[in-house]
Amino acid sequence: MTPIVVTLDAMRCAMRVAGFAWSDAELEVLRPGLERALASLDELERLPLGDTEPTTQYRIL
Amino acid sequence: MGDVVWSSVVDLARMIATKEVSPVDVTRAFLERVAALDGTLKSFITVSGESALDAARAAEADLVAGRVQGPLHGVPLGLKDLFNTAGVRTTGGSKILADSVPAEDATVVRRLRAAGAIVLGKLNMHEFAYGPEGLNEHYGHARNPWDARQARVAGGSSSGSGAAVAAALVPFALGSDTGGSIRIPAALCGITGMKPTYGRTSRAGVLPLAWSMDHVGPMTRSAADSALVLRAMAGYDPADPTTSVLPVPDYTAALTGDVKGLRIGLLRPFFMDGSAPDVTAAVESAARALEGLGAIVDDVRLDSVRHVAAASFAIVASEALAYHAEWMRTRSADYQPDVRERLKMGAFVTGVQYVRAQQVRARVRAEVDEALARRDVLLAPTTPLPAPVLGQTETRIGDARTDVRSALIRLTRPFNFSGHPACSLPCGVSGEGLPIGMQFVGRPFDEATVLRVADAYQRLTDWHRRRPPLA
Repeated sequence: MTPIVVTLDAMRCAMRVAGFAWSDAELEVLRPGLERALASLDELERLPLGDTEPTTQYRIL
Repeated sequence: MGDVVWSSVVDLARMIATKEVSPVDVTRAFLERVAALDGTLKSFITVSGESALDAARAAEADLVAGRVQGPLHGVPLGLKDLFNTAGVRTTGGSKILADSVPAEDATVVRRLRAAGAIVLGKLNMHEFAYGPEGLNEHYGHARNPWDARQARVAGGSSSGSGAAVAAALVPFALGSDTGGSIRIPAALCGITGMKPTYGRTSRAGVLPLAWSMDHVGPMTRSAADSALVLRAMAGYDPADPTTSVLPVPDYTAALTGDVKGLRIGLLRPFFMDGSAPDVTAAVESAARALEGLGAIVDDVRLDSVRHVAAASFAIVASEALAYHAEWMRTRSADYQPDVRERLKMGAFVTGVQYVRAQQVRARVRAEVDEALARRDVLLAPTTPLPAPVLGQTETRIGDARTDVRSALIRLTRPFNFSGHPACSLPCGVSGEGLPIGMQFVGRPFDEATVLRVADAYQRLTDWHRRRPPLA
């Protein structure tokens, strides 16, 4: 996994866009876990998913 | 009443129907065990003693009058405290809903009551079902009954359901499973937990964690009991648009004990390879035992499952925060810290990442379907390790250190992601005497075959009959 660095500024922006207002201290607690999570999500961007239709309904049959 | 509390659901239902035992005496016997043991186990959030006894008296009057409500007439059960119950609080294991009293039962609760079952109370859980350890800072952590020396987790999120069934405080319980929350406590507590196919059981009236990954199902001490309970609760529900219109088969009739020629795919890479040696040995031994019954076992791999952790994080974090958004804005301090942090993470997942995760999901589902095209069931450990000690955050599997939370959920989550039915059942004990669980995974809506192979294994072994020291 390629490490991803997330700045506090970027976290503040994303949080505001999502409609939340957490303190910098609260965001700092989240940062290590968020960097790991975003690095793993970045791996998904490298998968050859092509035009795979996303699962948009869940009734299997 | 002694050993009656250790009777199977099948036997209890039969003994009640034939008036061998009274539903009032049975209900009272379980309530006495709750009073005696639950101070240590903390498996209940709410005990509905009076209403349970009232229902038991009504069940007895029905029997005297020659009326039998259904296949579970007079049999008590416990409900994970996220199933709505009319007039009885449904907390979700939270402070936020501590005083929330629904007006109606969840569909599956209504169906089980219609089948004659008696609700004994509401069971402990990881707050809002968001954790595989089963921790709860508001109502106390449910304790695994298999270790009398030190407190171990019961597994989550249906921790109270796992502990209560294992310790015979209830003959069966309902749980919900978003990443393994039925199967993980089943494995750690030595019981049988059945996660049906997505769409087989209604989620209406059940507090959600992540709508597209949530499943509800029975937690019992045997596959035969799960078969009986699942039939009573499954089926189409207009209140849950994801439920299937497929008819519900008679699962009990499928339990023939015959697995000759049944094709079992043993999931070795990722599943066996990442598990502790005593877990791997127990599952290998179970596979050999099934071969001895005439099943055909081969190795199978699912390459795409290595992406499930990242993809399911994107889906569960997004869906969970969407449900909790308003409370996270107004009552964030009322969540227990680990749940609050997990919920916050959902704010940083983008729409593109969510959709990418759903693309991965389609791939994983197709790969599981393909593996099952040539096999009847897949077999894997349920968890890569037995029950951790309460408070333990890291563990070692082989040479690798890993965090307990990720390890507990690693082998179950792929089948929430794919939606396939999966049943966990005990298959051995660790060097420390703790239960080890394995899971059978079946084709969509083929719970009957999953339960058939689980039952055949339980006819051959006695792991599911063992009693924990704290019971």
